Amino acid sequence: MSTQERLHETCRRLLEEGTVQVVIGYAHTAPGEPAFPVFISDPADVGQLVWNRCCLANLTKYLLRQEIRALGKPAIFVKGCDERALVVLQRESQIDPAQMLSIGVACRGEESPRHAACAACDVRRPRFCDIMIDEVPDDPPPVAASSAAARYADLEIFLTKTPAERVAYWTEELSRCVKCYACRQACPLCYCQRCIADKNRPTSIDTSATLKGNFAWHITRAFHLAGRCVGCDQCTRACPAGIDLRLLNLSLARAAELQFAYRAGIDRQADPPIGTCSERDQESFIQ
Amino acid sequence: MSEIISAAELRQLVGAWLVQGRRVIGPARIKPERVLFVPLRDAGQLLLDDCQRPANSAKEAVFPRHEKLYEFRFQGKQVEILDAPPPAAPQVVIGARPCDAAALPILDRVFNWDCRDAHYNRRRDLTTLVTLACRQHDRHCFCTSLGSGPGDPCGSDAMLYGLDDGNYEVRTLTEKGSALFTGHTHASDKVGLAGPGPQPVLDPHAVGAFLKTHFEDPRWARWSARCLGCGACACTCPTCHCFDMVDEGGAAGGAKVRNWDACQHALFTLHASGHNPRGTQWQRQRQRVYHKFHIYPQKFSAILCTGCGNCTRNCPVQLGLLPVLNAIQGGGRIAPGEAVR
Repeated sequence: MSTQERLHETCRRLLEEGTVQVVIGYAHTAPGEPAFPVFISDPADVGQLVWNRCCLANLTKYLLRQEIRALGKPAIFVKGCDERALVVLQRESQIDPAQMLSIGVACRGEESPRHAACAACDVRRPRFCDIMIDEVPDDPPPVAASSAAARYADLEIFLTKTPAERVAYWTEELSRCVKCYACRQACPLCYCQRCIADKNRPTSIDTSATLKGNFAWHITRAFHLAGRCVGCDQCTRACPAGIDLRLLNLSLARAAELQFAYRAGIDRQADPPIGTCSERDQESFIQ
Repeated sequence: MSEIISAAELRQLVGAWLVQGRRVIGPARIKPERVLFVPLRDAGQLLLDDCQRPANSAKEAVFPRHEKLYEFRFQGKQVEILDAPPPAAPQVVIGARPCDAAALPILDRVFNWDCRDAHYNRRRDLTTLVTLACRQHDRHCFCTSLGSGPGDPCGSDAMLYGLDDGNYEVRTLTEKGSALFTGHTHASDKVGLAGPGPQPVLDPHAVGAFLKTHFEDPRWARWSARCLGCGACACTCPTCHCFDMVDEGGAAGGAKVRNWDACQHALFTLHASGHNPRGTQWQRQRQRVYHKFHIYPQKFSAILCTGCGNCTRNCPVQLGLLPVLNAIQGGGRIAPGEAVR
């Protein structure tokens, strides 16, 4: 039985038995075209579900959406990176694992050159899912990114630039930002009820898409995701201006790993560096 | 007879415009997979290959994402208001697509409707639009469904038609267009042709008729369930023109600025009371379709869409207008992936 057939059979069973009320998965209009999120409630519709290398979206974003929650208990498709988001969402008390079912799909990485994150990914097989489909990848991952050096290689190359060159790079990149907030809306961990960028009494971050407003927004967002970003790279993928936000996120992920030996969404038991109080904290201001 | 310009001469001409102090905006490849309209630094940046539609639109030349309207200064109890200087630099948009150019007459109606917008009109007067006819299209293009097409001269000051030898036939349409090219082209018997464009896939009048009676249709929630609520569609749309006005500055003074806004953002219609008349994402999606195919047509007798496809091309979840319009036309199916309800 093919992966797709197993996937259909599993979802049909889950819906027919009433284990879940909706399957959050992927569908496409034609083979080879990017798959899009789909919400299947009727067992007769499970044939629409697909799993292939064009399933780019991180569906965990929908778990917190009021309209999707209203559809009932969900089963959700997760790749390895998506599963990391589930772990963080659970740690941050945003989801209750008892009220959902995760269906893991082993990912071979996306082929598009836009997804540098996939080349440095070391979680291609979800580890904690309730159900695993597609247990063994047909082909081994092209790059085994098991070391921190491999994970942060792109950042290390960037950091060989002088500070002036780095400022010039970000000035050029962020000058293209039009403040569409696709980065925020696509991010599974940007779930604030009211984002600081939307606060206007008083305004914290200029709403203007000027260099000042754009630096303020992207730096604030990166810091807010420090030690939380799971590296799914949805922000970079969603950006219509082609800004490589991954570099910003990698910088803070590296800080969390080097300073706190912590990687978001990897270890379900590990205490996140932000939001955890420890007597062993070295900073004097906190003692 | 036709007038042609070689690719090398065209690039030289663009370089000359820059030297003359004109602002020149054109497509440039800013990332391996991303082509955007950007203010060109040099003519070498210009990408006059029509195989890829820029991911943004040329509207920014006349309707910038951020614009200072006036400044204010506090001096004791006095407030001094200073008009922002009007835009002054002449500019050329080169390599706009017909779907970008056709958007400008549409924007003109809005910015000259109940008041004449001084900054918009000044920029419009200063702008010359040189459009590159499309020889190719992708699966998101649907200009031919909306009465436009790959060689549509609507809104352009001059048209460039690619020739098989890599050069261009130039057809000037206005005095502004002629002023740019006169003396720079050669007489020829070669004639450039636009590509066939996409097969028409929908009837905008049928969509308009549907909208008249289906505001409360329960399927809107299904059709737009996957919308993430970002503004990538509106920000890259050639015709979307909604803006927000805010005061920015400090205790000494500041400025009233106009910034792009997007109807897909939750804050767009949020009232000070806390009430939001479009409280859910599907209501915001429905609004975007209504504005383009019902509200604007009622007011201005034209459709607020040129079929460029950027809304779907840039959508992180492959939504945008076309899948919804197809769903309306197809009797309820959004795509072979979304169940009929």
